[in-house]
Amino acid sequence: MSELHAIPCDQVLQTLVLYIDHELATEQDYQIYQIHFQECPPCHELLVHESESLSFMQNLLRSACNEQAPEDLHDRIRRQISVMSATAQVEYFSQTTITNFSFDGTTSIQVTQEFTTEIRHDLTDGE
Amino acid sequence: MDANTSEIALVDRASETAVQQRARFERDALQYTNQLYAAALRYTKDPHDAQDLVQDTYAKAYVAFHQFEPGTNLKAWLYRILTTTFINTYRKDQRRPQISDGELEDWQIYDAASHTSDQGRSAEDVALDGIADLDVKAALAAMPEEFRMAVYLADVEGFSYKEIAEIVGVPSGTVMSRLHRGRKMLRESLAEYAKTRGFNKKTGGESDE
Repeated sequence: MSELHAIPCDQVLQTLVLYIDHELATEQDYQIYQIHFQECPPCHELLVHESESLSFMQNLLRSACNEQAPEDLHDRIRRQISVMSATAQVEYFSQTTITNFSFDGTTSIQVTQEFTTEIRHDLTDGE
Repeated sequence: MDANTSEIALVDRASETAVQQRARFERDALQYTNQLYAAALRYTKDPHDAQDLVQDTYAKAYVAFHQFEPGTNLKAWLYRILTTTFINTYRKDQRRPQISDGELEDWQIYDAASHTSDQGRSAEDVALDGIADLDVKAALAAMPEEFRMAVYLADVEGFSYKEIAEIVGVPSGTVMSRLHRGRKMLRESLAEYAKTRGFNKKTGGESDE
C-alpha cells in the first residue's frame, strides 16, 4: 500500500515511455513501476493502451520496411571483398567529440567521425 | 547459437590470419546486407544510392574489421558506419541537423501526463488497420531526417537509446527527444493518410472534424 507512493502517478506517466521501451535504469526501477501498476488501475490502463498503440505502429513499420537487397548488390559486395583482400591496406578510424557550453545554458555537441584508408595495390589481380 | 558465441569469444585477433579474418567477416557481417539495405533506403530515399551506400559501408567495415571488438554488437557497429557514411557522403543537404534549444530536456513532457489524457488513439489504430505499406513508407520519408532515423533505429531495428546515440553520434537525451517527437509525428501523419484513403469509417464522428 505504502509502496504505491514510492512513486507518484504523474512521475510514472511522464516516464511511461521509458518503461515501455525497457530504458529504465535499474531492475529495482522496474519493480517500483510494477508495484505501482498493480495497485493503480488507471495507470495500468494507460500502460496497456500505450504499449498496444506503440507495438501496433512498430508492426506497421516492420512489415512496410523489409525490402530485400537486390541479388546484384550481394554479388558486388562479395566481389569487392575479394578485390580488397588482395590488396594491402592500412586504415584508421577516429572520433572526436567537442562539447560547447554557452552562457545561456545551452549545450551543443559536435561529433566528428573520420575514416582514413590507405590502400596499396601490390598485386595486379583481384582474386 | 552456443557454438557461435563461444567461437566469437575465442577469436584471437593477434594470431588471426587475413584469410581467417575475411572468413569471419563474410560469416558474421554479410548477414546484415538486407537489413542495411532497407535502412539505406530510409536514409537516401533512392534505390541506387541505397545500394552504393551499403556497398561503401561494407568496404569501410572490411578495412576497419580488425578494430571491431569480437563479442560486442556487430550490427550496431555496421549501422554506425552506415549512418556516418550517409551523413558524410550521401546526404544531399550537407548541413548537420540542428539540435534545437531545449531538445535535451523536453522528452520528459509526455502527452499522457494525467489519467484523463486522450482516449481517442485506439480508434486511430483501428483506422490504421487498412493502411498500405506504401503509405507507411511515404509517411516515414516525409519526416525530417533526425526524427526518421531515431524512429527507424528504435522501432524497426530495436536498438536501445544508448546504441542509437552511438550510431547517430548524439547524446542519449537527444535520442529520446527525437524518438518521442518522431513517433508522435508519424502517428499523426499515418492518421492523415488513413483519413485520405477512407479507412476511418469505424472511428465515428467524434473526432477533430
